[in-house]
Amino acid sequence: MCHLRAASPTPSFEEHADIQAGRETASDMFYLSATPQEAQVQQSASPAPSSPPPHISIRALRSEEKRLGKKGVPIVGSRRRRAALKTSSQIPFEQLPYQCFQEARKILQADREEKIHQIEVQRARIARLEAQDAAVSGGELYKKNRLDSMRRHLEELKILADINDPLIKKRFEDGLGNMNRPIYRYLADRKWRQYKRLILDQRITQHNIVPDVLPNMDPVADVDVAFSQRIVQPGDVVESRRTEKPPTLRVQVFDKGERLVTVAVIDSDVPNVEKDAFDFRCHFLACNVPLSPVTPSMPLGTMPKENVVLPWQPPFAQKGAPWQRMSVFILQQREGKIVDVAAVKENTERHGFVLRSFVDRHLLKPVGVGLFRSKWDEWTEGVMKRADIEGADIEFKRKKIEPLPYKKKDGARYR
Amino acid sequence: MRTSAIIPAFRPTFRCLSRRTTPLLSPARPIHPRSSQTALFSTTAPLLKRSKKGEQKKDIRITAIQYHLRHPLNPRPLRLSRLRALRHWTIHRAWQLHKAASRRAHELELERQYNSMRDACEALRLIGDDGMPASAGTPGGTMGKELGRLYRVAMEKKGVWAGVPIEYARMQVDYPSREGWNHGWTR
Repeated sequence: MCHLRAASPTPSFEEHADIQAGRETASDMFYLSATPQEAQVQQSASPAPSSPPPHISIRALRSEEKRLGKKGVPIVGSRRRRAALKTSSQIPFEQLPYQCFQEARKILQADREEKIHQIEVQRARIARLEAQDAAVSGGELYKKNRLDSMRRHLEELKILADINDPLIKKRFEDGLGNMNRPIYRYLADRKWRQYKRLILDQRITQHNIVPDVLPNMDPVADVDVAFSQRIVQPGDVVESRRTEKPPTLRVQVFDKGERLVTVAVIDSDVPNVEKDAFDFRCHFLACNVPLSPVTPSMPLGTMPKENVVLPWQPPFAQKGAPWQRMSVFILQQREGKIVDVAAVKENTERHGFVLRSFVDRHLLKPVGVGLFRSKWDEWTEGVMKRADIEGADIEFKRKKIEPLPYKKKDGARYR
Repeated sequence: MRTSAIIPAFRPTFRCLSRRTTPLLSPARPIHPRSSQTALFSTTAPLLKRSKKGEQKKDIRITAIQYHLRHPLNPRPLRLSRLRALRHWTIHRAWQLHKAASRRAHELELERQYNSMRDACEALRLIGDDGMPASAGTPGGTMGKELGRLYRVAMEKKGVWAGVPIEYARMQVDYPSREGWNHGWTR
């Protein structure tokens, strides 16, 4: 629902009520979105899910929830909580009549207005410097650095203006945050770094994905790998019947704008008996995939044909071979640079695919990584048969080491 | 005992442990003599009748001691409802903002005072022979002996401690010094 109004000079109660109801006012978007294009993207209205009166049966409640779910309305809170809210007084949160709370809100609003004023000032300064001749402002490099630092400060101010808003906190915790707004991206990033990224970092290090597959890696995007709608924890061993169908990735980036990425799924533990070592194998490769903060879903199965270089091949580990690490890489392409898929298709093979060389050749920047493992199990044979992969009958065995001939020692020594 | 001070309700239990001439139990609530304490000064556990449920009754002294040992000094953590917590958070953030703003104002005020003192000293230092600000451009030898005399006098550190013993120059605090009062001190 598009909801645009003339910007009022001071955010009133009404405006805050709007924010609570799931809409964002024009004045908010004017200040806190980076571009006018971002401002156009509005969140759909989410009216409070109407729960029927308490005498209605559970079945009716369930069907009501199902109906709302089909409409795409998120249901927040338990049934019990929703019923409690339904019967309680309908005073909006920011109008609750607690004196200390209201005084606190006044302080926060004053601070927000001050921050918004600072944002305006900073924008005017940036515009002035941009219009200035480089010779006057001390050289091209100096001007560029100065503009960069001013823009960084502007982004900080945008976050500081909203960080103390309780409704923004609430909406973020409900998962209703609009990722086009910098504050929600900031909060999501902070949350990700507090736990998920630490785990991911640990798993990458434990399994030596860095430096085995890529020399170094600084994940800046949250990647969830989900097989049949169930998210795999980084590093989990996944049954081969689950990995037969291509996964759906949820890639959440925390910086604004749309970019093109390359997705690669690499098996880095393919046993090579001749070399007595391990090789790489590419199980999926797609280029020029558009990605933005608001479109995190990336189903690998339904990707357009013109983007896919190597379609999904189910991961498999032959009998007796150790588990194999499967890593999913999200590689950001350079601004405005498009990878020629047809050319890549011609000179790319699954076996022996070296991601380092690919990254170097196409000037890619690794932004996100997902990780799981595959192992021989009772379903692998069927999976390999259905995918026309040979070698299901091969079993790897340890090379038997011949014992050295026993030499009888002189018994007299031990007497 | 420190914990007993926290919960005055348990004081009577402790008072009854003291050796007093008054009877331990009030006549209004007679308890069977076997199930209560018989000897006030005995430290051995009295043999008490088992209750019907099979659990042995505990000495009230043990109960009291256990209560005070197990009762945490910290109050239980706050458990707030969601909106209550959100209101709490709002107030907390506003308080932090207010504190930061007042701290900043204080710092700025200190800075302003320091700057004005420094400017005053600079002005003193530049006063020439004739009592006027001396500058390099002024002809007529204002850079004489008297240049900045007032400044030098103001910066004099001689006799700062005259009259006040140096050992009394400590931070003024609400509690006594570690050594207490030195009665034997003479000048």
